[in-house]
Amino acid sequence: MSVRLFFATDVHGSEVCWRKFINSAKHYEADVLILGGDMTGKAIVPIVDEGAGNWQYTMQDVPHTLRSEDEVVANERLIADHGYYPIRMTHDQVQDLTAHPEKLDELFEREMRGTIEHWVQFADERLAGTKIQCIVCPGNDDADDIDEILATSKTMTVGEGNVIDLPDGYQLVSSGWTNLTPWDTPREEDEPALKSRILSVVAQATAAPERLVLGLHAPPFDTQLDVAPKIDWESLTVKGQDTAHVGSTAVKEVIKEVQPLLALHGHIHESRAAERIGRTLAINPGSSYVEGTLSGVVVELDGKSKVKRYRLTMG
Amino acid sequence: MATNAGTQPPAEQTLFVRKASGLIKGWSEGDGFRYSFFSVNLFLAIWSISYATFIPGGSLFWSIVITAAFIVLEIIVYAGLISAMPRAGGDYVWQTRIFHSAVGFVICAVGWWFILWLWTPIYADMGVQTTVKPIFRILGLNGAADWLGSRTGIFVASLVVIAIASILVAVGMKAYAKFQKWAMWIGLAGVLVCGILLLVTSGNSFKEKFNAAADKYYGGDKGMLNLQKYKTDASGLFVYDDAGALVNDGTQQYPGAFEATEAIGAGTGMPTSTFAGGFSWATWTLIPFMLFWMAWPNWGATLYGEVRGAKDFRKNVYQMLGGLLVPTAISLAFLGLMTWKVGYQAFMGTMAAFWWGISPIGGDYISPTAMISWIVPNAAFQVILVGAISLLLFGWFGTLFLSSTRMIFASAFDRILPESAARVTSGGVPVVALVLMTIPSIIMAALYAYTPIDEGTGVTVVKLFTYDATLAIIIMFLGSALAFMVMRWRAKAIWDSSSLPKGGIAGIPWMSIIAAVYSAFLVFNLYLFIKDAIYGVNNSKSAIFMAVLYVAALVIWLSAWVTRKRQGMELETVAKEIPVE
Repeated sequence: MSVRLFFATDVHGSEVCWRKFINSAKHYEADVLILGGDMTGKAIVPIVDEGAGNWQYTMQDVPHTLRSEDEVVANERLIADHGYYPIRMTHDQVQDLTAHPEKLDELFEREMRGTIEHWVQFADERLAGTKIQCIVCPGNDDADDIDEILATSKTMTVGEGNVIDLPDGYQLVSSGWTNLTPWDTPREEDEPALKSRILSVVAQATAAPERLVLGLHAPPFDTQLDVAPKIDWESLTVKGQDTAHVGSTAVKEVIKEVQPLLALHGHIHESRAAERIGRTLAINPGSSYVEGTLSGVVVELDGKSKVKRYRLTMG
Repeated sequence: MATNAGTQPPAEQTLFVRKASGLIKGWSEGDGFRYSFFSVNLFLAIWSISYATFIPGGSLFWSIVITAAFIVLEIIVYAGLISAMPRAGGDYVWQTRIFHSAVGFVICAVGWWFILWLWTPIYADMGVQTTVKPIFRILGLNGAADWLGSRTGIFVASLVVIAIASILVAVGMKAYAKFQKWAMWIGLAGVLVCGILLLVTSGNSFKEKFNAAADKYYGGDKGMLNLQKYKTDASGLFVYDDAGALVNDGTQQYPGAFEATEAIGAGTGMPTSTFAGGFSWATWTLIPFMLFWMAWPNWGATLYGEVRGAKDFRKNVYQMLGGLLVPTAISLAFLGLMTWKVGYQAFMGTMAAFWWGISPIGGDYISPTAMISWIVPNAAFQVILVGAISLLLFGWFGTLFLSSTRMIFASAFDRILPESAARVTSGGVPVVALVLMTIPSIIMAALYAYTPIDEGTGVTVVKLFTYDATLAIIIMFLGSALAFMVMRWRAKAIWDSSSLPKGGIAGIPWMSIIAAVYSAFLVFNLYLFIKDAIYGVNNSKSAIFMAVLYVAALVIWLSAWVTRKRQGMELETVAKEIPVE
């Protein structure tokens, strides 16, 4: 009996991408939905009260003036679709935050939690009564506290640090932690610690390697899955056309040692690719969340020991 | 919020970001500009300018200006597509996403993959005529120069181009970008030297040096100098016999090679001013020739960013605009200098001489870079100057296969091509994609070199299809322009998410209007290509050639569709939008 998985990753707070992810099971006729890491957004867009029913915000360097409540609501959705958190504010509040950036942490935490709660509710409504298995795993950009919110879901399972049974005897081992990045994100660590973390979860798996799926947010180092623009870590600027391999050596070592059937990765949005590492098929479907498109991959497992077929998708 | 007297509150932020990966502050405009600059290649400019001799009634100057104006619209369209949907695969991804998998694949397989096989011998031919042959003549390697002009010579030169293009793909973008950087600066230094030489040299001195070099490299015991005079009628135009051949004017000869080309300019009806013809229909019919050179600033690289904005759209526009305007300005400046020194008609005579088969210098193309180098009567200097400028051509060779491999990869990911088409070695070499380029390019080069000579034009049948190389890409650009025109409706979510200017009139975005005007411009050019024999492609052989390419692409898509259907996979769903509600 073959099993069809749909894997997407790095939705980064995009409301439209989350909705597409939940709806993708029906669209692709998938048995299992897996969301790789980085679920939360990166920025807050203040919608500023200009008085007399007018509001103003700037997104992607374009200023927008809104003249009615309906327009504000519609634009809040547009901002959310882009992966940002829209918050209505007064000028004073914006100036306060500008002057006191330390207050942003609390604001981000509130918005991220609120969005995840809303997403859980949406998923539970859509997936209730279906036989679709849905696993979500936060990534390096996601704060720790969203795991507990995700765990309240009646239809989704949290992948981080867990071994999850999939249909037909397959198992999924997931971790959203990555190797070190220039941005000091919540879930990153050095390679030895990362390898230790991953192996400790893999050790709990009971499935044979040919029935094992690894969902590791960091892609394996020095492959087609981890090519990113080369960045100066101090100034966070890109060096022309230079690219660099930024994946994890720990992840690559684990894949080489364990040789699972399938390895699913994200983290590097530009590196949409698939590559074999020994007998393991490693895939990074990339991410196009900024344009509201859900990049993903449909993988069919043959019920025995092979990947029957896979195709990268852009929905 | 209270502030102290004399202090200003901080400027309000419009975006508050947190610590999250992928946020980068800037990216190099230089590389994007360089890519565009190489694509609007100065050697293609030389070739396009020489093609203008086919329509002497048109104004070369105004055709360049008009073309540049419309290409600005192309730049806006492509900058818009790149900023809204910045994905590897470009035109293929946009057309597949907005129209249909089959439409995108068929149009772009021909435009980005198959037709680049034909560009291989075209590049080789240009390189041989403008650079390698003149250098060989300077060095006295006349046997080698003659051989290069033979069928086998062109074929072997094509193999060299294929090898260079393959190596540049294999070494990767980083090394290629470095090579391009050096190639551009050295090439431009050579162009600057040419400009200085023209500025400091009088017209009479230029002519003397031209004659001296022609005599030295082609005359004397080399016996290649042809100063035969041709008969002219009362208006100064050449007279042709019943068979269409020029009529010799007895045993009379021109005093020198330059005087011969001056006479060729007059005899073939070249105008005395580059402005002659104004905005006449003849000027507009020169535009397809100018597209051969100027249509390509949109081959510039894209860079994916995270917190992107309108600046990305503007940056893309500026880079491509620079890539268009700099070579255009250089070419017009060069045209101006040559006109000042030797006269426009005489200069165009040097171009016409080759295409009419009456070049006084052994039938060779009179390379502008070579004839300027002759100002300094030193062989080493001439070789270095011509070689340095030629880096502007060689630095461009990598694009020959790079764009194709991206399109092949995208098709493989979409399962139209097998997974193996996207295979990459451990060293990062896209071996299968390279094979899909090199083997057919070799075959196309052989056809270019060895197919029978077309009686009417004196070139091989496949060489006659040179403008199909532009035609196929123009068709692809039209597909993308139409995709951009309807993006607001066909890909609303992407349109809404983008940073593109959303203003418009009567509910139609300005971006759509710009795309419509640009599309109309492309359709106009397609009309000319199909209507007029002068572009070499409105004949049955060319039609069959193009039909074979499009049918082959369609067959590939249909085969993939049937195969995937049997595997329980529908090709269309790969790019079909997942419902949101």
